[in-house]
Amino acid sequence: MQKEAREMLLRRTVLLGAAGGAAASALALVSRTALAANITLLETGSTLLYPLFNLWVPKYTAKNPGVRITTTSSGSGTGIAQAISGVAQIGASDAYMSDPQMKRNPDILNIPLAISAQTVNYNVPGLNKTNLKFSGPVLAGIYSGKITRWDDPAIAKLNPGVSLPTRVITPVHRTDGSGDTFIFSQYLAFSTPAWAKSVGYGTTISWPPVHGGIGAIGNPGMVEASGHTPFSIAYIGVSFHAQVAEAGLGTALLENRAGNFVLPTPKTVGAAAAAIEAKTPPDERISLIFAPGADSYPIINYEYAIVSTKQANPHVAAVLRDFLSWAVGPEGGNAPEFLDAVRFLPLPAKIAALSKQQIAKIR
Amino acid sequence: MRTSLFRTGLIGLTGIIPGILFAVIIFLALYSWPAIRFNGAGFLIRQMWSLGNLYANPVTIGATEVPIGAHYGILVFIVGTLATSALALLIAVPVSIGVAIFLAEGAPPRLRPLLSLIVDLLAVVPSVVYGLWGIAVLAPLVAHVIAPALGAVLGFIPFFAGGSPTGFGLLSSSLVLTLMVVPIITTTIYSALQQVLAPDKEAAYALGAMKLEMAVGVMLPAVRGSIIGAAILGLGRALGETMAVLMVSGGAINYLPTTITSPISTMASFIVSQLDSAEQDPTGMAVRSLAEIALVLFVITIVVNGIARMITRGLHVSLAGRG
Repeated sequence: MQKEAREMLLRRTVLLGAAGGAAASALALVSRTALAANITLLETGSTLLYPLFNLWVPKYTAKNPGVRITTTSSGSGTGIAQAISGVAQIGASDAYMSDPQMKRNPDILNIPLAISAQTVNYNVPGLNKTNLKFSGPVLAGIYSGKITRWDDPAIAKLNPGVSLPTRVITPVHRTDGSGDTFIFSQYLAFSTPAWAKSVGYGTTISWPPVHGGIGAIGNPGMVEASGHTPFSIAYIGVSFHAQVAEAGLGTALLENRAGNFVLPTPKTVGAAAAAIEAKTPPDERISLIFAPGADSYPIINYEYAIVSTKQANPHVAAVLRDFLSWAVGPEGGNAPEFLDAVRFLPLPAKIAALSKQQIAKIR
Repeated sequence: MRTSLFRTGLIGLTGIIPGILFAVIIFLALYSWPAIRFNGAGFLIRQMWSLGNLYANPVTIGATEVPIGAHYGILVFIVGTLATSALALLIAVPVSIGVAIFLAEGAPPRLRPLLSLIVDLLAVVPSVVYGLWGIAVLAPLVAHVIAPALGAVLGFIPFFAGGSPTGFGLLSSSLVLTLMVVPIITTTIYSALQQVLAPDKEAAYALGAMKLEMAVGVMLPAVRGSIIGAAILGLGRALGETMAVLMVSGGAINYLPTTITSPISTMASFIVSQLDSAEQDPTGMAVRSLAEIALVLFVITIVVNGIARMITRGLHVSLAGRG
């Protein structure tokens, strides 16, 4: 916090210095990108992407004086809705838009900015240092109330040799509309036909009635609820890794399509991304969940910027193109200095190229 | 001339309040009309709520386009709203009466302004602060202390048995609401108590009454109408409270509470939690159904207020009749 404040102060001083003393160099900076002065962009949406935008924006606007980008964290659904209505220029979303939504809004682009992952975490006193194994069908059983105790044969079968307690499981889910719910329920739907049929997937789903199961708001709420509740289980975005560790929660090994149990590491997330890379269509709306491959981590996703091809004027469009191109570039926003802090992975080269093709359509 | 301008101005200003109220009702009714037609009366008594599959092509049911599997029923949220508010009032009203009597009669006169200021300050604490406190302090307290104690004492009644592994639910929501409405109710009763005439009080003392006997025998009956009015004010706040309840309610969906610690959802908190995803419904039916919940909440608030006003009027009549 303090460091941030100091940095901001420093940045301000630098900017003032540039404005006051070295006017020539400031002019050179402006002319570098040939952007019109005083353009303000509004970014809103995903709470998972919000920390990343807050790392990006100061660095970008420092290089591009005259551009202001306001970031707000309001939820993926709001991000999509406000990008469509034109209130926001960039809608941040963990979920891509659906076919029926695209049919109604053909001018909207879904542009991947980075790759994120999700962990399944639990609070089982004594076992939080052990990485328990879970499969999609077992998680679906827990979240639909068919598996109610930790020593259920289905869990015991996946974890031979682990002494599981005879305690009731408290499944924790997100109450607010959430990209995390979207990718978690997709994992359950793609791995468990019964879940696909009865519940399906979405940013909000109609959770089966599990007495004692609770809802929490946002990733911070999930960590809090699970940390306070022994014998609970929760799904949490990987950018909250540090908070999960601080709360002392266990992290699950998840079964992938090949039947192997994996943790989210750069290797397993990268393997899953590589498996879908070739299948990604030009409009880049595709699920990365439950990807094939022996090493693939099953719950990863593209983090999207939802942007309309039709902007208010050419200046706004030019700034938008410049910022988004910078964001998806390996030298710019996809550099490790930004992504490592939130544990995202950079876009593979081919996907970044597709994103740039989409960005070029913004007018 | 000047007077008439003044008059017209005042009438105009006065008209704004009911004007806005009617505008809100009319907007809600018009906006939710497609949902009202689609959902029918079953909306109020169905337990299942599902936005449907927003990622598949919508289907046409009757003449209305909705997502596949969309199904809107709000009984769970109506029950949650009424249960939390009722429980909160059940605790808050006696507490408030006690605090108000203490402020008016019990507290040292020099401390009264300070104490009443503190009560007033409780009323201006933002609800999200109560919510955070609820998550960090109250929910663990309910889980580890209050629910086990209730279970031990009243566990023979199924409603109190079972405990609560998480603390998130009906009891925590009601306790947070209690804290939020106690200052409103206390302040209102306290101002009414200050209006009780000195001769009435002195008459009671002259008859040998103790302070407590005087307060219960003379002051409380004199402010009976105000107590009900104060409770209604508190109820209004409790019925509509959103953020604090959302944070400690456990966000139950698709099942009714069975015990005092079951997770619940209230109508206001549910609207907030669903709005984000509802906006992704290409048919718009989800947002319209949320608007219908708002309309129902509005109607419930008006009905509750109306009933309370009738009770108060009845009291005044009976008091007048006796007097």
